[in-house]
Amino acid sequence: MDRQTTTGTMSDADLAQLLSQVRAGDTDAWGEMYRQFAPAIFRFCRRLLPAREDAEDATTEIFMKVRQKLGTYDSSRPFTAWLYKVASNHCWDTLRRRRIRQDLETGDVDTLPLEHPDPSQLERLQAEHSSKEVRSGLAQLPDRARTALVLRYYADMSYEEIADTLGVRRAFVGVLLLRARHQLRDALAPTAAAAGIQKASAGGGS
Amino acid sequence: MNQIDGHFDEMTGLLYLEGQLDSAHAGIVSVHLGTCAACRELLRALETEAVWLREALTTDEESIPVRVLAPPERNAAHWGWMAAFGLLVGGAYTLWSGFVEPWYANLQQGGFTQGYLLTMLFFSSASWKGWDAMRSLMEFMAVATLGMVAIWLLRKQWQRFTAIAFVMGGLACGLAIPQPVAAADVEHGNPAYTLPAGQEVKTDLIVAADRTRIDGDVDGDLIVFSNSLTVNGHVKGDILVIGAEVRVNGPVDGNIRAFGQALSLESTVAKNVMAWTGASEFGANSSVGGTLTTFSGNTELDGKIAGDVLALVGDLTISGSLGHDVTIRGGRLSIGPHAEIVGQTKYRGDHQPEVSAGAQLGSPIQVTFEKRGPDYSRGSYYWHQILFWGAGFLLGLVIMFVAPGFFFDVSQACKRIGPAIGFGALFLFATPIAAIIVCFTIVGLSVGLPALALYAIAVYATKIFVGAWLGEKLLGASVGFGPAVGRLALGLAILRALRMLPYVGLLVGLLTVMMGLGAIVLSLHRRLTPTAAPAAA
Repeated sequence: MDRQTTTGTMSDADLAQLLSQVRAGDTDAWGEMYRQFAPAIFRFCRRLLPAREDAEDATTEIFMKVRQKLGTYDSSRPFTAWLYKVASNHCWDTLRRRRIRQDLETGDVDTLPLEHPDPSQLERLQAEHSSKEVRSGLAQLPDRARTALVLRYYADMSYEEIADTLGVRRAFVGVLLLRARHQLRDALAPTAAAAGIQKASAGGGS
Repeated sequence: MNQIDGHFDEMTGLLYLEGQLDSAHAGIVSVHLGTCAACRELLRALETEAVWLREALTTDEESIPVRVLAPPERNAAHWGWMAAFGLLVGGAYTLWSGFVEPWYANLQQGGFTQGYLLTMLFFSSASWKGWDAMRSLMEFMAVATLGMVAIWLLRKQWQRFTAIAFVMGGLACGLAIPQPVAAADVEHGNPAYTLPAGQEVKTDLIVAADRTRIDGDVDGDLIVFSNSLTVNGHVKGDILVIGAEVRVNGPVDGNIRAFGQALSLESTVAKNVMAWTGASEFGANSSVGGTLTTFSGNTELDGKIAGDVLALVGDLTISGSLGHDVTIRGGRLSIGPHAEIVGQTKYRGDHQPEVSAGAQLGSPIQVTFEKRGPDYSRGSYYWHQILFWGAGFLLGLVIMFVAPGFFFDVSQACKRIGPAIGFGALFLFATPIAAIIVCFTIVGLSVGLPALALYAIAVYATKIFVGAWLGEKLLGASVGFGPAVGRLALGLAILRALRMLPYVGLLVGLLTVMMGLGAIVLSLHRRLTPTAAPAAA
């Protein structure tokens, strides 16, 4: 998946023209741009924020910010990347302010199991759960874990962009993502969680 | 790069898959993968998991809300605060045209030329001819308000017709339920009501009339809404009266609670008397077995009071016998030559009490002169300000610990200054009115009184949320408990300092209450709307 397919079907040239019209104050162009990107941004917010109304509010607020900040957008870079950056910053800002004890979420790499998961268990997990169940499991994750997964696998952000948004070192993003995957596996199959992590030696030798 | 039993760990596998390893490490992994089936299997599983995650996140069965489909307008006026201000203006106009103007007309017709505005406004209009119609309108408005609040809270569930049916059905049932039959005799004067001498009402008597005269006896309580009330008979219960002029010449076995323009007592009251009146006169033949609590413009005590006297009055003249302690806070105190006060007399006011030579006092009067307005030259004033700040700060910390999400939601809602102040203004004035109206309608005291208590708590807590918001404006929005406490402390201190300013302080206080109250309303609205798992609809 790339951001272009996520956010709309316009060609780069059409988008560039649309943006220049928006910058010139064309109200119709602004409406067109909004209609192109708002659904994807709403879905993005929906995956990050706890309630549907939060996502509705956030979508509106993000586009108000976009309208204010459009002058700072560097047109040599993909617009969707910039748009998702604005959206992710807004959502993360909202989430972290609601969690006064966010700083208690430590980034301890030692908590990661240095073991191979059982590939067959993983495949079974994937086969047994629908997309809807995965999204429900995602909702149970801590904010930062959920956000990391959504930024990476929905918004297709790079590790640098994720690190910048979440305010962590770039080297820590991989840890965040892997830990988030483990937490999601546990959320979806709590009883099988222990069984899903097995020693590499159980899977065969080199 | 970690290895376990000759295999790469999961972290390395993920970074390799996502292209995050440098070329040297990636090369080592590639070579290893060529010879290790287990690691190839792991990488394949991780890659499949990534695809599975992308599919789950991008697949969507949930529709896009209509509200999101329409682009927001620049500087668009939010419907909420526009509606709130509109309702406020409408409410103010209704209050003026529906209550104040007719009251003025009523006042002139009734010959009233003096008195306290609030007393007159609320109590003199009890006999206003349009009162019944207005009461019906108020009842309708109360039910409509409840309905609107319910619909507002459930508006996110509009799709669920059962919810609508439930709300509408509940309201319909509420309206359809007949008024409870009171165990009392209810009388409506047309325009006057008289209970003749020799006649006895065996139960409670409730009277609403222009003029009320009770020459007979009442075996229970006497509750009267009347422009004037004269009691010559014997009341064996309490008297509760709302009226302009109240005269009690007959004995009362219970208490008297009078709200009105004037109270005159020339008889014996076995228990207590409480008077919220423009003037109170306790004649030479009067006797109160319990305590007297009076909030009156002028009070004359010529009779006997067995218990304590608490008087918050404009002027107080004592010529009778007071059997216990007397506490007075007010303008002038005059103690006549025949007065007798057995207990202690405490006076707090701004005039020297006048005590006649013949007055018998149990102990010298304790006089405390008070200066109007804040005394900036006294250290205690600043100490009190610090205490007020500390109390607010402490409550803020409690809320922050007990309900951090709510605390931050409300302080964040303060950012929406327009809607917050708009809703705050509406709820500041509408809530107590609605709560009081509800007390008299179908829902009753069980809803009205808790609503008033919550309202009072919310009004007090407003400065905490506005303080937190103000602190964030000044110090930034660093995450964590420490910065949040610092923001709260600073914000509250600034608000307290502003409140100390003459005139400006009042405005700051009002704005703080409106903004905080509106933010609480906005936040509660958000929290009371149903939540669902992200994208799991």
